[in-house]
Amino acid sequence: MSAADRARDALSRLVDASATERILISTAALVLSVLIGAVLVLVAGRMTTCTAGEAVYYFGTGFCYDPVVVFDRLFLGALGDPFSGSWSPNGQFAVTLRESTLLLFTGLSVALAFRAGIFNIGTQGQMVVGALATALGVLWASSLVSGTLGTVVLIPFGLLVGAVFGGLYGAVPGLLKAYADANEVITTIMLNFIATGVALYLVSGIFKDPNSAANQTVPLPEFAQFPALLFGGRQDFSIVALLFGLLAVGALYYVLEHTAFGYDVRTSGVQPEAAEYGGVDAKRTVVASLTLSGALGGIAGAMYVMMVLGTFQTGIPAYGFDGITVSILAGNNPLGVGIAALLFGVLKSGTTVVQFATDVPPQLVGVLRGLIILFVAMPEFFRLLARGLPGAGSKPKAVATDGGTDGDRGGEADE
Amino acid sequence: MSDAPADRTDSGTAAGKAEGAGFLDRYTTRALVAGVTVAAVVALLIAGLLFPDSIAGTLSDALTSRNTLAAALRLSVPIAFAALGGIFAEKSGVINIGLEGLLIISAFSAIYVADLTGGVWVGFAGGVVASTLLAALFAVVTIGFRADQIIAGLAVWLIALGLAPFASQVIYGSPNTPTVATSPSITVPVLADIPFFGALFSASPSVYMLFAAVFGSWYVFERTAFGRWIRASGENPKALDTAGVSVTRVRYAAVLISGVLAGMGGAALSLDLGQFTGNGPTMVNGKGFIAIVAYLFGNYNPVGAFLSTMLFAGLDAVQTVLQLQGIGIPRQLIRITPFVVVILVLALVGRTRLPEAAGEHYETEE
Repeated sequence: MSAADRARDALSRLVDASATERILISTAALVLSVLIGAVLVLVAGRMTTCTAGEAVYYFGTGFCYDPVVVFDRLFLGALGDPFSGSWSPNGQFAVTLRESTLLLFTGLSVALAFRAGIFNIGTQGQMVVGALATALGVLWASSLVSGTLGTVVLIPFGLLVGAVFGGLYGAVPGLLKAYADANEVITTIMLNFIATGVALYLVSGIFKDPNSAANQTVPLPEFAQFPALLFGGRQDFSIVALLFGLLAVGALYYVLEHTAFGYDVRTSGVQPEAAEYGGVDAKRTVVASLTLSGALGGIAGAMYVMMVLGTFQTGIPAYGFDGITVSILAGNNPLGVGIAALLFGVLKSGTTVVQFATDVPPQLVGVLRGLIILFVAMPEFFRLLARGLPGAGSKPKAVATDGGTDGDRGGEADE
Repeated sequence: MSDAPADRTDSGTAAGKAEGAGFLDRYTTRALVAGVTVAAVVALLIAGLLFPDSIAGTLSDALTSRNTLAAALRLSVPIAFAALGGIFAEKSGVINIGLEGLLIISAFSAIYVADLTGGVWVGFAGGVVASTLLAALFAVVTIGFRADQIIAGLAVWLIALGLAPFASQVIYGSPNTPTVATSPSITVPVLADIPFFGALFSASPSVYMLFAAVFGSWYVFERTAFGRWIRASGENPKALDTAGVSVTRVRYAAVLISGVLAGMGGAALSLDLGQFTGNGPTMVNGKGFIAIVAYLFGNYNPVGAFLSTMLFAGLDAVQTVLQLQGIGIPRQLIRITPFVVVILVLALVGRTRLPEAAGEHYETEE
C-alpha cells in the first residue's frame, strides 16, 4: 500500500463520520475555537497597555481588550447589526455576502479535490491565475462590445476565461501527480508561490496600468462588471454572483452524487483500490478532478476581479486558504460548503468591523481559522469529550460501532 | 523486529521485485539529477574560465565567489534545521507538514525573548521552547487524538501564521518587530583566509550548530538504539511494539525533537537578521515547505538533506549575487526559481519511498 493510498484512507476516515456527527463536530470545533480565541484576546489584552478608563474588568482583573465586544462585533457587526433597527442591505451585510460568494467557489474547489482523495492547497494560486486571466481577457473583449449587451456577454466570458486558466493551472499538479507521482500537497504549495511571483512580475511590468501607482491592470469598464441589484453598489456585492454560486453548489452536488464522473471521483477518494478494480481510470480521475477544482478556483478569481476590484491587483486575499477551512468544516460536502461559506464570510467581514471598533489585531481571525481546522481534524477528541472519559485508550472498533450514539451524546454535552 | 524484512521477501515475490526495481529506478533518477547538476556546474566553470567576459564568466564568478558560499550557508540554516526535524518526525511515522509553522513561531519568539531579556542566546532558547510547545500540541493532536496528520500539520502552519503577527501587533504595534542585537560571527584564524572554502570558517554560530546537528542526527540514526526505534516505528510499528518498545513514546519523542530542531532553525533565521517580519507569508516565506522537499530529495538521510538544502540555498545565493551585479533577469522571476526547481526535482524524482507506516495511526495491542 503506497503512501498516497494511506493518505486517502485517512481522508476517508474523516468522510466516514455520519452527517449528524459531522455537524456536531463542526459546531463544537467552532465553539471551542471561539472560546480559545476569547482567552487569547484576554491574554493579549494583558500584554498591551491602555489607560484605566479603557480597560474592562473580568474576575477582578483589568484587560485592555474585551472579548465580548470583539465577538459581538465579529458576528453581529458582520451581519450589519440586525437588532439595532438601522439595518440596511447596503451595509456590512452585503460585505458578508460578498465574502461568502467568493468562499463558496474556493470552498467547492477544495471540496471537489478532497472528495477525489486529493489535497488541493493550490486553490489560492489557481484563483490568482484565473483572476489575472479574466482581468486581461475581459479588458481585451470590452473594446468589442458595450452597454447592457456588453454585461450579458462579458460576464459569462470572464467567468469562462477564469475557469479555463484556473483549470489549466490546476491540471499541472494533477498531471504531476498522475504521471510523475509527485505529491500534490507540495506541488500545489509551490505553484501558489509561483503564481503570485509571476503575477507580480507581469502586473508590475508589461500589463501594468500606466495611470496607477499600484501594481494593477487597467481597470475594467463599468459594464464589464457584475451589476449591483437589490444591494446597491457601495459594497461591491452582486446578488447575481451569489445566485451563480448557489447554482454551482447544486451543480457540484448533482455531479458528485448522480453522475458517472462523480461516482469515479467519490470511489477514488474513499476506496482507490476498489475504484481501480471496478474500472475507474485513476490517472484520468486525478487530472480531471484537479482540473475541475482549479476551474472553480479560477472562477473565484474571475468573481473577485469582476465583482470586487474591477481590476487585477497583486496581493489577492487568502480566499484559497480559507476555502480549505470552509471545505474541512463542511465535511467536503458541497451543500455543507454553502453553510460553511456563509459562516466564514461572517468571520472575514467581521474582521474589518473588529478592526474599526477595537484595537485587537485582525490576525486574530487567522488564528481562529487554524484552530477550527485543528479541532475539526480531531473528531476523536470530541468523542472522548462526549463520553466524559479522560485518557485515550479506546479501540477504533468501539468508536465505529457506537459512533452514532456518541454523536448524539456529544450534542447534549455541547449545550 | 528481525523477522519483519524476512517476512516481506517471503510474501512479495513479484510485487517485491517490482517495488525493488521501482526503487532502483527512482534511485538512479536521483543520481541522474545530482550528476546533471554537477556536470552543469563544471561546464559552466570551464566556460567561464575560457570566456571570462561572457554571461558564463559572470555566472562562474558568482559561483566561485566566497560570498556565494557564505550566503548559501546562511540561507541553508533554517531550511536544513527544519529538514532534519522533518526527518525525525517522518521516519517515526508522523508526517510533519507544519514545519513552516514551527519556523514562524520560533522566529518570532526568539526575537521577543531576546528583546525582553537582552540576551541573544536566551532568545534562541525562547524560540526553541516555543517551537517545541507547538510541536507538542501537534503530537498530542495526531498521536493522542489520531487526527489526520496532513490536516493537523496544515492547522499548525495556519495557527502560527496568524499567531506570530498577532502577537507582534499586540506587543510592538506592527507585524514587524524592532531590531535586536545579533551575535557576531565566529572566525577561525588562518583557515578563514582560504579562498572560497574560507566561508566555512567564518560564519555565524548557527552555521556551526547546523554542522553539529547534521552530524548528530546522522549519528543518532546510524549508530544508536533510539535511531533504530525511530526507524522501526515508521517502517514496522508492530514489530517495535512486539520488541517491547512503546511506539507512542518513540513517536512523541521524535515529533518533539522535530520541534526542537525546527525551533533552532527559526530562531537562527530571525536572530541572524535581528528582526522578525510578519507581513504576508512572514519572513519564513515557504522555507518550511522547501525543507520537506529537501529531505525527500535527500532520501531521509541527514547528510543528503543538508546537501540538497545547499543546492536550493546555493541557487538562492547565486540569484542574490546576480541581482547585485545587475544581470537582466527580473527580480520577481529570479525569486521564484527555488519553487520551480522544487517542482522539477519532484517531477523527476517522483515519489520517494515514504516510511511504510507514515501517516498511519498506530493502535497499541494489549
